[in-house]
Amino acid sequence: MSVFEQLLQRRTALGGAAAAGVATVLATGTPAHADTEFHATVEPGVEFPSDPAADLLPADPLLHLLRRATYGPSPASIAEIRKLGPAAWLDRQLNPATIADPVADELLARLPLAGLSIAEIRARVAAGQLKQYDWTPMWQLSFAAPARAIWSERQLYEVMVDFWANHLNVTCPYGDVWDSRTDYDRAVLRKHALGTFADLLKASARHPAMLTYLDNRFSTRLAPNENYGRELMELHTVGLEYGEADVKDAAKLLTGLTVDTATGAYRYDAAGHVAGAVTILGFSHDNATTTGGEAAALAFLDYLALHPSTARRIVTKLCVRFVADEPPASLVTKLVKVYLDNRSAIVPVLRALFTSDEFAGSAGAKTRTPLEDLAATVRILGYGPPPSGTKTFESLYWMARNAGQAPMYWGPPNGYPDVAAAWASPSGLLVRWNFHLSVAAGYWPADLVKPADLLTGMIGARPATYAALIDATAERLLGVRLGPAQTAALAGFYGKTPASPLKSNDPAVGWLYPYLIGMLLNSPNFALR
Amino acid sequence: MSRRRLLRTTALGAFAGLAGSQLDTQLAFAADPAYSGDVLVLLSLRGGFDGLSAVVPAGDPAYYAARPTIGVPKAQLIGGGTFFGLHPALAPLLPYWTAGSLAAVHAVGQPAPNRSHFSAMEELERAAPGTSIRTGWLSRMLGSLGANDPFDAIAMGTARPARLLGGPAPYLSLTSIDGLALTGDDAAKPVAATMAALYQGAPAALAQTAGQLTGALERGRELRTAGYTPANGAAYPATELGAALRDVARLIKADAGLMTATVDSGDWDMHENLGIAAPGRRMHDQLSKLAAAIAAFATDLGSEGLRRVTLVTISEFGRRVTQNGSAGLDHGYGNAMFVLGGGVRGGQVYGTWPGLGAAQLRDGDLAVTTDYRAVIGEILRARCEVGDLSTVFPGVAASSLGLVTAR
Repeated sequence: MSVFEQLLQRRTALGGAAAAGVATVLATGTPAHADTEFHATVEPGVEFPSDPAADLLPADPLLHLLRRATYGPSPASIAEIRKLGPAAWLDRQLNPATIADPVADELLARLPLAGLSIAEIRARVAAGQLKQYDWTPMWQLSFAAPARAIWSERQLYEVMVDFWANHLNVTCPYGDVWDSRTDYDRAVLRKHALGTFADLLKASARHPAMLTYLDNRFSTRLAPNENYGRELMELHTVGLEYGEADVKDAAKLLTGLTVDTATGAYRYDAAGHVAGAVTILGFSHDNATTTGGEAAALAFLDYLALHPSTARRIVTKLCVRFVADEPPASLVTKLVKVYLDNRSAIVPVLRALFTSDEFAGSAGAKTRTPLEDLAATVRILGYGPPPSGTKTFESLYWMARNAGQAPMYWGPPNGYPDVAAAWASPSGLLVRWNFHLSVAAGYWPADLVKPADLLTGMIGARPATYAALIDATAERLLGVRLGPAQTAALAGFYGKTPASPLKSNDPAVGWLYPYLIGMLLNSPNFALR
Repeated sequence: MSRRRLLRTTALGAFAGLAGSQLDTQLAFAADPAYSGDVLVLLSLRGGFDGLSAVVPAGDPAYYAARPTIGVPKAQLIGGGTFFGLHPALAPLLPYWTAGSLAAVHAVGQPAPNRSHFSAMEELERAAPGTSIRTGWLSRMLGSLGANDPFDAIAMGTARPARLLGGPAPYLSLTSIDGLALTGDDAAKPVAATMAALYQGAPAALAQTAGQLTGALERGRELRTAGYTPANGAAYPATELGAALRDVARLIKADAGLMTATVDSGDWDMHENLGIAAPGRRMHDQLSKLAAAIAAFATDLGSEGLRRVTLVTISEFGRRVTQNGSAGLDHGYGNAMFVLGGGVRGGQVYGTWPGLGAAQLRDGDLAVTTDYRAVIGEILRARCEVGDLSTVFPGVAASSLGLVTAR
């Protein structure tokens, strides 16, 4: 039996058991696919918490995987995962280079500065095509983010780039990294997003954007700057396990990793390095020569990347992203081993995570952040990008910013929070409710490509009653029907009851139909991931 | 029953009175007539504020020795006494300093050094080291005052929840008052009321936020309809802090029942090029913007309004005494706080100065001689009707600095 078959069984068992309160019972549920045979079994003694949130979601493990591993299901991605099956779909997503991505490629071509290297930006400045300290490349990278999140086929890759952008945060846009932030995205985050964490960490440590953002470029032999050394340990690797002596030695060891002011490129400056033995978190190095300082620093970074505490922090963070705000300890322990056995390679960890029982049992345990909500909104509506221009991407960026989560915009080095409690504010919810209606109706952005007739484009022919209209739209957007009280409330919005007949000239199927879409996207069902 | 289920059920119980349409009813007349204490405005200076640049110990020779290029020269200081002086960029606040409604406290901080931004901020806002308490101290203060309405406490200027207010007491985080409007919602299209019904029976964590929002929208409508023009010619700077303080003043003057408000000011983490005390330099310009926003707030409130307000600044830690090789300051310990309000005995620097001599420092940093919780505790007791500090700041006694007069 494949892990995914087990996954299907587990989820069904949980779905069926939720109503009973505790999932230690054997249960059969409605198969998500008619061609899948179910023999629901849960090991005796394994207790899964009953979670009322899970009941708001469709009991379909494929949709569960899509909601977690992407920026939200789209009609096309739902069709694709049903065709490929979960294992092949995941394999494909873990090999993004094999996925043709023509739509996103074309959108990115409209933002040609978003992927520039430091040398390219400086060459354009020299040629008079860009001003010194110009923010345009950083803005293009920022505007590309929602476009990629919504329309890229390489969904899991984009989610992981965002994950690492938060873990190794360098705020964008930010004046001091005007020439290096796009390069950081390309040469560090995108290059290593599905590689090994050790390579990613070493790439970030020697990138001018990180060296600038956390001040290591200014750290000198005479007076080391402690900022990067501290955050390297606390945020990027082991966590709050260091002491002040570790910070001081780390700062010393990292001196010399700097930026060439003439070219803006990374440079190791032996003359600026502090030689002398260091001991940091169990790592010792004689660091005897200034010329050997870079090699010593890289050995330290490798040590940190493969430190068990780092393994625990990284996999816990991945579990918080993909599984639950309070991840099951059993899963974290399992993934720590996968991480260390594979010398910090990311793909084996993700594969083990998404095929775990704990993942399968976690429906309802994650709430969408504002950025995820926005991307998921456009994706589930199935709206396409406008045929030309970048105004829409800019609008989507500002919408995310209004909701408190503009991509890459977080100022402090710890990255955006990733748990529901960090976003559960009335003000944030208001912004989200407002953009649901705005996007659905096409108020703002106004030029997303929508079905010519919204009603038939969403659900086909006009249903006979308000209940049927609400049910069909809810199934289309949420994958489930609402309860009778909720359905009655939505019919009541139109001054009707669920049984009221739906006439062709009713506003509910005309100019007020986007309100139904908006309110369904405001529902607790859609708020969950 | 699983532990998680138990927790959810408990949370649901705690918020049962706030769910859905019930909240609408509560919010209609929410001003709490029982509270007549000061509105406590907590201004968080995030990133590690350098109190030694803001309130300069010019009389301590070690200060200038430690900061050869970024020390603020004595001749530039304002509002000075014989030992301390203020950074010249704080000039907009000088009238309040001189008139005695603005004071500073120096060498304050947390009971133990913690130079990590993230854990220091968490400790600062939880304010109960060595305990398993997970709530924010402002939430505990609200609990002790019997707050029951989300408009009792506002985190202004943010779309995200405030950790300071995390806990069972209701509160709102608001990006702005004018933004408190639901698109398309009106009598003919009752979106908010429909959403309140749609969230009935939803899991507590989701229902609570939705219930607070649908309730708050009604109050937002009232406030927007009333409009707002700052008084006394107050000119708020076009900054996030300026906008947030303007909305706090608006709520105070609307008698919306506010007990406390939190606002944030970021970007104080200056590891490099902090700059001399001149326009265009980082510390100067940051202080200048901070002072302009606070001064506009005080001007807008006027002496009548300020009489029932105390504004306090806090930061997670101070900076190192000695400048680093990049003419900046790494993470340190002891710090300065500002206190502004009608009940403040201002124009002076409070606290016990530990000295900056090598032997007097704590791991190279300004030592802490006064617990920040004791300072706030004094204000809570004298101005905010908090009789028993033990739930707000467990194990901490209020300071007796004489910083504020009793109401």
